[in-house]
Amino acid sequence: MLEKQVHTNLENKYDLIVGLEIHVQTNTSSKMFCSCPTGYFQEEPNTHVCPVCLGLPGALPIPNKRAIELCILMGLALNCDIDNEIHFDRKHYFYPDLPKGYQISQYKRPICSDGYIETTSGTRIDIERIHQEEDVAKSTHHVEKTTGREYSLIDYNKSGVSLIEIVTKPCIRTAKDAKDFATEIRKIARYLGISDADMEKGQMRCEPNISLQEKDKWEYKDGQILPIGDYKLNPKVEIKNIGSITAVEKSIQYEVKRLTKELDEGKEIKQQTRGWNAEKNITEYQRTKETADDYRYMPEPDIPVIEVSDADVERISEELVELPVERMKRYIRELGLSEYSAEVISSSRESAEYFEKLYERLKKDLEEKEAALEASNWLMGPVFAIGNLDVGIEDLALLILAFKKGRITKNKAEELLNQSVKENKDLSKELEEVIRQKENLINNLDEIVREVIKKNTKAVEDYRGGKQATLGFLVGQVMQATKGAADPNEVRDILIRELKE
Amino acid sequence: MKIDTKHIAKLSRLSLTKKEEETFTPQMETILESASVLQEVDTSKIQPMKTRIPFKELREDIPERSLKQEEVIRNAPHSENGYIRVYGEIFGGIEES
Repeated sequence: MLEKQVHTNLENKYDLIVGLEIHVQTNTSSKMFCSCPTGYFQEEPNTHVCPVCLGLPGALPIPNKRAIELCILMGLALNCDIDNEIHFDRKHYFYPDLPKGYQISQYKRPICSDGYIETTSGTRIDIERIHQEEDVAKSTHHVEKTTGREYSLIDYNKSGVSLIEIVTKPCIRTAKDAKDFATEIRKIARYLGISDADMEKGQMRCEPNISLQEKDKWEYKDGQILPIGDYKLNPKVEIKNIGSITAVEKSIQYEVKRLTKELDEGKEIKQQTRGWNAEKNITEYQRTKETADDYRYMPEPDIPVIEVSDADVERISEELVELPVERMKRYIRELGLSEYSAEVISSSRESAEYFEKLYERLKKDLEEKEAALEASNWLMGPVFAIGNLDVGIEDLALLILAFKKGRITKNKAEELLNQSVKENKDLSKELEEVIRQKENLINNLDEIVREVIKKNTKAVEDYRGGKQATLGFLVGQVMQATKGAADPNEVRDILIRELKE
Repeated sequence: MKIDTKHIAKLSRLSLTKKEEETFTPQMETILESASVLQEVDTSKIQPMKTRIPFKELREDIPERSLKQEEVIRNAPHSENGYIRVYGEIFGGIEES
């Protein structure tokens, strides 16, 4: 809400309308329509290709069951309706990264439609559709040194890798909501094992569609932006080449500024595609966009209609787990975590599951809220600092409980944790050893105190002569001798008692 | 039936001379007109002729061996370090997926 107000204050003449298209490569072992292996990252070029993904004449596509399961799984996670028939279509355009001259995609009947999710800030985002398609090849552009002729090098390893496209309705009103939505999609993809969704590796790509409309001249109805009266809607600008989640936000902010200026100057805005330049933090004109007619969509005759039964959807839905935003809300509501901690911990399934196991274990010995707070603090502090979640739950719980019972200090506990990780030692054994040593020391505390008095005759004289401050020095000496294991107050009492004699 | 030959040629990455455009436009219009007879058939109650397959019979996600790089490159007129090399007017103005 706050974000929205800030935005309207900045641009009080126009409203920002954003829809997002997110492509996600789904995590299958083989390609969408052939059995070539998918893992092409850093592989030799053109080694994961066959007649199907090279578009050789006569080759026929054979759909991958797992890929469609993952598409449906994403649809279920985003509360979509799942179609009971799957229809593929051909989308035609000519480009060297598309060897068949068409991409197999879905046009009028996407597998998933009409969904929604809530972002961490509580904004609802409506989903128009999720459809299944295939990725294109990777091309790099070059210039021949001798002739100045332009050419491209093509690696078809990526051609035909399973790709889903998630399309929102034009319901996003701020750059931050767009970023939050992309973040949520990435989290969900990872939670459910749908994709690693690494934007730098191109496993996830975001394309915002942006327009500015005059205030009170439009309405959002049935998932569409409609003009009010004789107002003519401003055309959309699509941004491509966004390589990170932050660039989603930044590129939209940039476009708001650019479009505001154009509109203020009375310029006519053309529907166009612009590319994000991450070095200059600007968008650059690429081309005017082709319309759906230009793609000459037609039903894919080589793939039969695939019948999806309720039982199929039911079986796939068994892979669903509690999703990040639901988890976050539960941590705040039931476990009393701060909004920040709840968001960080729930952001990956691994950390959320680790947290919950640690909490369950601590709950056996601590109050519920206290167990949750300790689990959260230890996870977000020392455990995250280690950089992995390999520390055993039971070991860590015993360490935390030893600290909670005052058997070791927090510093000592963290030191033990780090040391056992670094030196690959058994944390519980180390902990036992430290506690045993400490108890030995404490049992001999009287003796240690007497020893310190014997060794520091000067300080003892000063104290007896009325210099109270010297007591602090003597306490320090005892603490040092016990390696910090003793309770300083107790040491003080013994010292006073011993020094009276 | 009107046809925008120039636009269609552009979508197919063909460059036509003015004369070719003038020759092809009426030809294509005639083709479309003959085919348009089909538009008159009422298909509103007819299901598209499509074979059907139950979901569970789809291909399992098991990778198999691909072609060797030499085999892939063999058909390409130009290549470079295992990449296929292409030239031409095919770039620009066109949407990538």
